[in-house]
Amino acid sequence: MTPLPEWLRPGFAPGAVKPRGRRGSLRPLRRGLATLEAVLGTLVSAGPDDRRDGFLRNADPRAKLLAGVALIVVATLLHGVAALGASLALALALAAAGRVRAVRIAAALGASLALTTLVMAPATLDVVTPGTPVLTLARPGGGSLGPFRLPATVAVTGAGLAVAARMILRTSACVTLALVLAATSRPQELLAGLRALGVPQAFVMVLTMTERYLAVLLRAAQELHLARLARTIGGIGFRREEAWAAAGIGAVFRRTRTLADNVTLAMIARGFTGEVRLLRPPRWRRREWLLVAAAALAAAALLAADRGLA
Amino acid sequence: MSGSAGAAVFTVADASFAYPAHAPCLDGVSFAVGRGERLALVGANGSGKSTLLHLLDGLYFPSSGSVSYLGRPLTEAALEAAPFGPRFRADVGFLFQNSDAQLFCPTVEDELAFGPLQMGWRQDDVERRIADTLALLEIGRLRARAPASLSAGEQKRVALASLLVLAPSVLLLDEPTGGLDPRSQSLLLEILDGLHGRGITLIAATHDLTLLPHIADRVLVLSEEHRLVADGTPGNVLADTSLLLAVNLIHAHAHRHGQLVHTHPHQHVVAHEHAHGDPAGHGHGDPRGGGEPEP
Repeated sequence: MTPLPEWLRPGFAPGAVKPRGRRGSLRPLRRGLATLEAVLGTLVSAGPDDRRDGFLRNADPRAKLLAGVALIVVATLLHGVAALGASLALALALAAAGRVRAVRIAAALGASLALTTLVMAPATLDVVTPGTPVLTLARPGGGSLGPFRLPATVAVTGAGLAVAARMILRTSACVTLALVLAATSRPQELLAGLRALGVPQAFVMVLTMTERYLAVLLRAAQELHLARLARTIGGIGFRREEAWAAAGIGAVFRRTRTLADNVTLAMIARGFTGEVRLLRPPRWRRREWLLVAAAALAAAALLAADRGLA
Repeated sequence: MSGSAGAAVFTVADASFAYPAHAPCLDGVSFAVGRGERLALVGANGSGKSTLLHLLDGLYFPSSGSVSYLGRPLTEAALEAAPFGPRFRADVGFLFQNSDAQLFCPTVEDELAFGPLQMGWRQDDVERRIADTLALLEIGRLRARAPASLSAGEQKRVALASLLVLAPSVLLLDEPTGGLDPRSQSLLLEILDGLHGRGITLIAATHDLTLLPHIADRVLVLSEEHRLVADGTPGNVLADTSLLLAVNLIHAHAHRHGQLVHTHPHQHVVAHEHAHGDPAGHGHGDPRGGGEPEP
């Protein structure tokens, strides 16, 4: 048997090199990944709560898709804050009718609100959206900084707040409507519904795989991160951190590809023909017509009110 | 699917295979499998066992040579043509090593329904098969669960159920007990034994020699050069220490017993059990273990 090298024997003291101190804790990143996995798991993979019943849960997913997409498109076309508020109220009413859990709505709206606020924050300032100042944040006093001219004041404007409010209401309405679709239908039903409405097979397949494997890939990314963390003593510097992140993305990509190949083979092995088929296909009845008609009416009313109010 | 009694289910003739831009991973392999046989493919990691199972399932196609099922060559064109393609897919089930790849539906029920629905079978027939299969494998309580939330043993049983629901006559098993705890292993082996009793042909790839007496009546040995080097009963193969050493399925191993170090080939768990309490190592059951003084 090959003898153990000297440095691997118990009691061997390595050359004293002081480990570099860690620059900032990685705990937020780790927690962030774990939270992201949990949130995506809740929003994407949780599917409907089958123990809850209701009109929307039993409706044909094709009708729900048509109604939902119509209302989402209209929400993106509205301009007035009042009309957008009405659109959000309608979305929340649909969520309540669909008996979507309040926790799930709060998680989706919270994430959407945080992201939209972050993106829209600069738009509230007079340097981006001129208007009547509502709150002055800083007074640089004009002058110049190198080639840049500084403004006399940096203030939040009324027009900027209106722009941000419109965007926040619009995204909140769209996210809530999408959540109603996801929470009241099983993923396969929605995907089969998309196919029935003429969405190309390749697109539906990509959605199918994304829905199923997003959580798995997030877990893979988290495992890679933890494995790297277990071998890191002290800080490793920004450049090496960057290199590790790039290598990590590459490793996750490789795993993704291998997993995708294996899943495809497993599907082919069980006779996959490229079409999503359901054990209990939904039926289009009178209530589906009613749902689509009601959605079309609501969409038209919102548009008309928006134009009138504008 | 029809086939004369006693005829070969699979015939592999001088089949070679290489992944694109890679070295060959199967080299001129030939054998036949009869109906109702229990066959094990053994070999070290990377010897080509899994690849051979993929060839038998028509997921990969040989670079040269041929693989036939009931006398009909497995080619892409043949598998895309009805009725042979769908019937082959129903007739031959493949239990993948990684259950995470095999279980891609949101619930266990959807998982079991996937294959029959792809076959275009009637809904009431599919529902009856699902209920019967869940009962057969005693996993009825998992019906509405998400496969990703199950334990490894439960996932393996669901994966097996998703194949059995198609009433296959051949099962290809890639490392069937890999990653399972002893109880789950034992349960799976019982199930496989029961399936063989119902006439299902079992072909399993494994490098776990302890499994052979439980899952096979015949063993094919693949070398690290990706060639078929032996074909025999589990007893014959397990007794051939020089063969197992050559194909890297057992290894020469040094043991310390008190002041003595001696080497012997390690075969499997049974041969591994010896009296470590004996400082002189005299309780060792392996006659090949020659004692050597510690250097």
